[in-house]
Amino acid sequence: MTAGQTAQPPGAAPAAAEVAAELRQAVTRQFGRSLHIRTLDTGSCAACEQEIRMLAAPHYDLQRLGFFFTPAPRHADLLLVTGPMLRAFAPAARKTYAAMPAPKLVVATGACALGGVYQPDPFSHGSVEQVLPVDVWIPGCPPSPLALLQGLLVAVGRLSEQAAGLGFTAADSA
Amino acid sequence: MTALILFAVAAGAWAAAALAGLLIPFGRARGAVLRAGCALSVLGGVAALCGGAAALLSADSRLVSPGGSAVVGTLQLQSTSLSGVFAVLLGVVAVGIGLSLPRSHPEAGAGPAVYLCAYNLALLASLAVLSAGGVLTFLVAWESMALLCYALILHRPRSETVASGAFWFLALSEAGFVLVVAAFAILVTQTHTMDLGLIAARAPHVPAAWRDAAYLLALAGFGFKAGLVPLHVWLPAAHPVAPADGSAFLSGLIVKLGVYGIALFGFRLLPDGPAWRGIVTMGVGALTAAIGILYALGERDIKRFLAFSTIENVGIIVTAFGAAMTFLAYGQRALWAFLLLAGLYHVLNHGTCKTLLFLEAGVTEHAAGSRDMDRLGGLARLMPRSGVIAFVGTLGIAALPPLNGFVSEWLIFQGLFQGFRTGSHLVAILIVLAAATLGLTGGLAIYAFVRGYGIPYLGMPRTRQAAAATERGQPVAGPALLATACVAFAVGAPVLLIGLARAVRTTTGVVLRPVLLPGKLTVIPAHLSFSGFSPTYLAVFLLAVTVVPVLIYLAGRPRGASLVVPVWDGGMLAFRPRMQYSAMTFSAPTRVTFDALYRPSVSLQRASDDPAGRSGPVHYETAVTPVFERYLYRPVIRAIEWLADFVRPLQSGDVNLYLLYVFVAVLVAYLIAAV
Amino acid sequence: MPLWFVRGLLRGVVSTPYPARPDPSVAGLPTPPAFRPGALGRGVADSLVAICPSRALARDDDTLVFDAGACAATGRCRDQAPDAVTASGAWELAATARPALVKRIPLARGARR
Repeated sequence: MTAGQTAQPPGAAPAAAEVAAELRQAVTRQFGRSLHIRTLDTGSCAACEQEIRMLAAPHYDLQRLGFFFTPAPRHADLLLVTGPMLRAFAPAARKTYAAMPAPKLVVATGACALGGVYQPDPFSHGSVEQVLPVDVWIPGCPPSPLALLQGLLVAVGRLSEQAAGLGFTAADSA
Repeated sequence: MTALILFAVAAGAWAAAALAGLLIPFGRARGAVLRAGCALSVLGGVAALCGGAAALLSADSRLVSPGGSAVVGTLQLQSTSLSGVFAVLLGVVAVGIGLSLPRSHPEAGAGPAVYLCAYNLALLASLAVLSAGGVLTFLVAWESMALLCYALILHRPRSETVASGAFWFLALSEAGFVLVVAAFAILVTQTHTMDLGLIAARAPHVPAAWRDAAYLLALAGFGFKAGLVPLHVWLPAAHPVAPADGSAFLSGLIVKLGVYGIALFGFRLLPDGPAWRGIVTMGVGALTAAIGILYALGERDIKRFLAFSTIENVGIIVTAFGAAMTFLAYGQRALWAFLLLAGLYHVLNHGTCKTLLFLEAGVTEHAAGSRDMDRLGGLARLMPRSGVIAFVGTLGIAALPPLNGFVSEWLIFQGLFQGFRTGSHLVAILIVLAAATLGLTGGLAIYAFVRGYGIPYLGMPRTRQAAAATERGQPVAGPALLATACVAFAVGAPVLLIGLARAVRTTTGVVLRPVLLPGKLTVIPAHLSFSGFSPTYLAVFLLAVTVVPVLIYLAGRPRGASLVVPVWDGGMLAFRPRMQYSAMTFSAPTRVTFDALYRPSVSLQRASDDPAGRSGPVHYETAVTPVFERYLYRPVIRAIEWLADFVRPLQSGDVNLYLLYVFVAVLVAYLIAAV
Repeated sequence: MPLWFVRGLLRGVVSTPYPARPDPSVAGLPTPPAFRPGALGRGVADSLVAICPSRALARDDDTLVFDAGACAATGRCRDQAPDAVTASGAWELAATARPALVKRIPLARGARR
């Protein structure tokens, strides 16, 4: 069972939504309490890495949730990707993704990885989804550890996402 | 008598095989003659095996003198149970090598003809050494065995290393022979008989000083052949240059003939002696074992590596013998017999495993084109059958359960651990030191054989030649039979131990069976309530422990396609096989720890000393100092050369000087006659 | 029972996997902008698009397309047009669908500035 593309665009048919919900439940069953995360820096400025590292620090303490960092893709369930996917790094990123056993998730985090900041040019793809199939996007520059935590919990289905409901319009607008 | 008849059959078969070997270059059916010769060799091996088993299980036969000649004296043959053990090994080795001969020497020309002739005659000579009942027969057989092995080593296209290696073998063999002759000479002159049985009977009446001197001379003389440190230097010189089955024969049997000589003197001819004799033997053995395996870890050439491993195992066997003699000096007869049995068992096990490994080294050399571990790799996948067989041999020789090496080393360790029964604190401590040295050796042996199997057989091929290796046309029947024998010796250890206990009973007079195998399948070390284990149950248990999880996995694994993906290499774009561990880097920690022994010489040359690092090609060379060759043998050789130079003026070639010699000699003769 | 254990039970902090109440640690962090559509004319929108350093803003006819995923929360858009843009205070931005992060904000009709 691969959980590659678990999301459905808003407004899809109800049957597809049911399948998506089932898939979500399966992901939660599998990863909800035990997740091994492999971080992948595809050319970032390392600010996102600093915030990711803070997740393991005592204040946020990822391990009490059952989430661990692992260097080996063979042991990893989730690939946490930062950086604008430099073209020189793409083969290594593909190899890392291929080395992870199914079921696996990919989470792209940081404005660079989501397509902002850098355009596609001879040196970078511009966004991670050009090379890897992404399941969850976590915006931020860099995302705070709590935002990362929320994103990881959304990825395993322990929290429901809120981004779709945000309008980014001020409350006191005319 | 049965044993001697079977030995005669074996001798006849080997003589016929040697003749067949000689006939190969003549006539048309060369391949058929070659195969017939090999079949006769195998037949001889089977006969020797049966004869050895018969000798093992029966009492010492009487002396048989089927005649002789004026040159070599009367031929005196006798089969003893001690020699029966070694004859069993001779049979196993001969069968294993004989089955693999047709494929390892496929070309039927003049070279293989001489080789096969020499090999079969060497087998014959070894059998003669083992069945010799008289001193002269023994010595003649010993010397002919040495010369025939020299011919065996010289088989290859001659090069300087081949000639040098063979010469080291011959030189040290002769040095040992001189000492052996001296030892026998002492015994013969003191007991006034050439019959080995009578010597054994009359030896207690020989003065102790002569007895000890004879034993020490025999230890040194046979130590040259067995490979005791510092008399071992011919082993790493001769093994790489001999053909693979020649090396297998050398390590599997000839070295064990040296051990037989030590056992002959230590347990049959001169059993009773002071404790220091046993302690010296034990010390020499322990030192040999440790130094052997330490040098093995610095070797890239597979055959030199296996040669040093042979030295290590001979050290273990001689340690067991030495401890046995020490126990006898303190009255512990059960432990004396037990350690003799454990040593003999290790002889059988090591002989089988080492022959197997050398044959596989030959297969590797022919298939992959190199003996250098750093040029091999991944052979287990390319040559699956050879990989499995070599793995069985490696497990056996590294003394890993459940195979035979583990059982015999366990027995030796359990014997050594009972050193406290001697009652003397000093001796007990020395025995414990020997056990600790053997422990170090055992650990290093596992490390060395992980390297010895892992680097050539696992991983990825490091050169194109290795990647093209195939086992088509390589011998498989012989090595497979030896691997089966290894497993059989382990699982069927109780049966083998019963046979060996009978042999030990005939040799030492101690009835060992009740304190060795109290039940059917459990082995205990000569004393109840010390320890015990069952090789058979252990093998079954290990099999179950391995098989059960596999079955659980097969039953419960998720249905669905599985994906085959490349090995995770860190995401590198181009993973080259040269990036793997190399043999020298794997053993680097040991070489750093023991660098006082290795004294490595390092030479490092750069094209320039640019501090920014652009120094161009770097040439790095490191070599282990050959401590014994440089500090023991070279000075001895130089001393002999100096002496020869000093004496040379005596042979100046001047006729007048020679006439003066004649005149002086006649004058001296008259003076002596007058007085 | 050791005293520290009892004291810990009485005074200790129970941690939840995710903050049960609004967490003070995210109070001062930069967050993506919130727009006042009434103050967004075409001119304002174009200036905002030009000033965004991470290509999060684009104008599509009468709609301001804001890509919350590409936003780096620099605050330059807010400094450029404080009447039209304010901080949203939203930091729980994870999304399972990329299009869910792209918001279309209608511009003020009829405004020319």
